[in-house]
Amino acid sequence: MSDPNAPQDPYTAGQQPEPPGGSTTPPEPSRPPMPPPPAAPSPYGSQPLAYGSQPPAPPPPPPPYGSQPAGYYGQSAYAYPKNSLGVWSLVLGIVSIFMCGFFAAIPAIIVGNRAKRAVAEGQANNGGMATAGVVIGWIVVGLSALAVVVVIIVVVTGNWSTFNTTNY
Amino acid sequence: MSTRTDRRGRPLDTGPGRAVVVRSARSPLLVGGLSLAATVYVALVDPNSPGHYFTCPVLALTGMYCAGCGGLRAVHDLTHLDVAGAWNMNPLLVLAAPLVVLAWVRWLGRSWGSGGRPATAASDWRSVRSAWTVLVVVVAFGVLRNVPALVPWLAP
Repeated sequence: MSDPNAPQDPYTAGQQPEPPGGSTTPPEPSRPPMPPPPAAPSPYGSQPLAYGSQPPAPPPPPPPYGSQPAGYYGQSAYAYPKNSLGVWSLVLGIVSIFMCGFFAAIPAIIVGNRAKRAVAEGQANNGGMATAGVVIGWIVVGLSALAVVVVIIVVVTGNWSTFNTTNY
Repeated sequence: MSTRTDRRGRPLDTGPGRAVVVRSARSPLLVGGLSLAATVYVALVDPNSPGHYFTCPVLALTGMYCAGCGGLRAVHDLTHLDVAGAWNMNPLLVLAAPLVVLAWVRWLGRSWGSGGRPATAASDWRSVRSAWTVLVVVVAFGVLRNVPALVPWLAP
């Protein structure tokens, strides 16, 4: 991972051993492979970008957002120390679809709005991810609220036993 | 506000002041308090007997186990120090619980005081990696526990 063209390589910095008990990631048998670092520091500094827009000028054009998770890794994280907020928002949003409902969707909205603020301040450039997380979060909140209303109606009308065969 | 001192008369390093500290740490404190209240509720109200909790909509609609299936029962077992029982219900939750607690402690420590440490490229990269790892692990676990051959080990 030593690239003479990348004097301040954040990837190797991220690979340094963490202090004891420093990792918050669950154990995983196979981590995504680390991509090669970008050839040069991003020339556009900390200039804020519009939501969802691609960085216009950098020599290695990044792949479009959302194509696959690996698409993120090819991008420079140099000047954007708060890009993780947008990623967390999207991840929480996706997780909230499968499970947890409110309990993942509401954090997705909160974190997503913080990510949007970071984009506006020029500390992140993944506003598209943040928007996706917020939108998914609101959709899940709406569907969950709808489900709660349906359950209340079912309870009130006395058909609860049909929904109550299992408990989770 | 008079300067507080310790027993030997030296001024205490009270930092930015209690009000500022509580304000900056209110998010982790709020989340921790709500989580603790929910955990106590699950510990006291047994999810193993029907009628106490809503059926998971994913299970009710699709008949499949999502990654959180058995989570309430696993939390209930963990609060009663039954790690084996919790493992049978949801092994991912058993593995993730200490990491989540650890992450919360670090969050609290980071936000204790005014502003906390600024994010760096390295810490941000670790956080990004953690986020994608969580997504991959949760989705993979949700898929694998529905594979018939793995049901005895991974399904609740």
